[in-house]
Amino acid sequence: MNKRNMTLGMAVGFSVLMVGCASAPQSNDRVDEARAAYDEIKNDPNVARSGDRQLRDAREQLSRAESMLDEGADIVKIEQAAYLANRHAQIAAEQGKRAELQQQINSAEERRRELELQMRANEAEQARREAEELRRQMEKMQAEQTDRGMVLTLGDVLFDLNRAELKPSGEQTVARLAEFMAEYENRRVRVEGYTDSTGEASYNQGLSERRADAVRDELVSMGISSSRVETMGYGEEYPKATNDTAAGRQQNRRVEIVISDEDGNIKSR
Amino acid sequence: MNKHTSMTGAASVLGIALLVGGCASSVERPVGKLQTAESSIQQAVSSDAREFEPVLLNRAQNKVADAEGLIDSEKYLEAGRLLEQASVDAQLAGARSETAKAQQAVEEINSNIEALRQRLQQRQ
Repeated sequence: MNKRNMTLGMAVGFSVLMVGCASAPQSNDRVDEARAAYDEIKNDPNVARSGDRQLRDAREQLSRAESMLDEGADIVKIEQAAYLANRHAQIAAEQGKRAELQQQINSAEERRRELELQMRANEAEQARREAEELRRQMEKMQAEQTDRGMVLTLGDVLFDLNRAELKPSGEQTVARLAEFMAEYENRRVRVEGYTDSTGEASYNQGLSERRADAVRDELVSMGISSSRVETMGYGEEYPKATNDTAAGRQQNRRVEIVISDEDGNIKSR
Repeated sequence: MNKHTSMTGAASVLGIALLVGGCASSVERPVGKLQTAESSIQQAVSSDAREFEPVLLNRAQNKVADAEGLIDSEKYLEAGRLLEQASVDAQLAGARSETAKAQQAVEEINSNIEALRQRLQQRQ
């Protein structure tokens, strides 16, 4: 009798305990952690944009964990569901971050394209301005466009007859050329000497070379690197006019400055 | 009294045996879970997780290895749990790697833009 009462008491106590367990809110650190991870991202628009599979999986595992917790299920099962819920929420969060970054990349790429276009437009504008300025400079020196490029013809004002030393007026002309070359650093020049046909051809050849060298030396003394100046003597060759008249011979006594393209290339005769 | 106790004991032994037997027969080899875990790891590797999330990737790989051992000793339930964890670990490693790469891309393009902007400013 006494024993039976005791058994009854225990049974009642046990059931009270169980009811107590069922009604009191259950708590588990793993489940709490998963819930926090899920709550943090459930309304994140970037997460929503990157697809809802992970979010849905997180929600499912979380509610499984919560209901198992309420039912007092095996703790291993509960924590497994919580682990998966937490991971799915973390993956969803990463995918959301990635979607946000991708958006940043897209708009940055658009901005870069705009800048590149602007840059190209600027470069074209600058090249156009440089060409314009070059043309103006050349005009000032009375250079003319030929099939060898821009050629500046300096008449017999540079030298006295049969001499290879620059006259003061010649120095001024060469100074303008030096100024031009200082401005356009990529340009090179070839200095070509020519004579009329008076006298020995070999003498004329030597004279034309010495004159070309004199122009080069003057340029170098004005600070132009000698690597940017080629010289060539053509003597009596390539006359511009007849050697039978004084006027024609005067035209043939000359120095021609051939200006390179912007890469420093000079076409030779 | 004595007889009663022994009967209860027999019943519980029977019950437990049924329970254990039931579990063993109802849980199958987690073949699908193993495949999922392995392909999640492969995907993480192709997202460069070896470079960006080596620790987490390694953890996933270890879980798969442990699960294979458990499968050999027919502990399918435990193996299945480890494989589920390995899958999501690997997926997270892959996702974090993708985020890190996107972050690098953002930084690279921003420094490109900065360089372009400076060059434009110099020109003007």
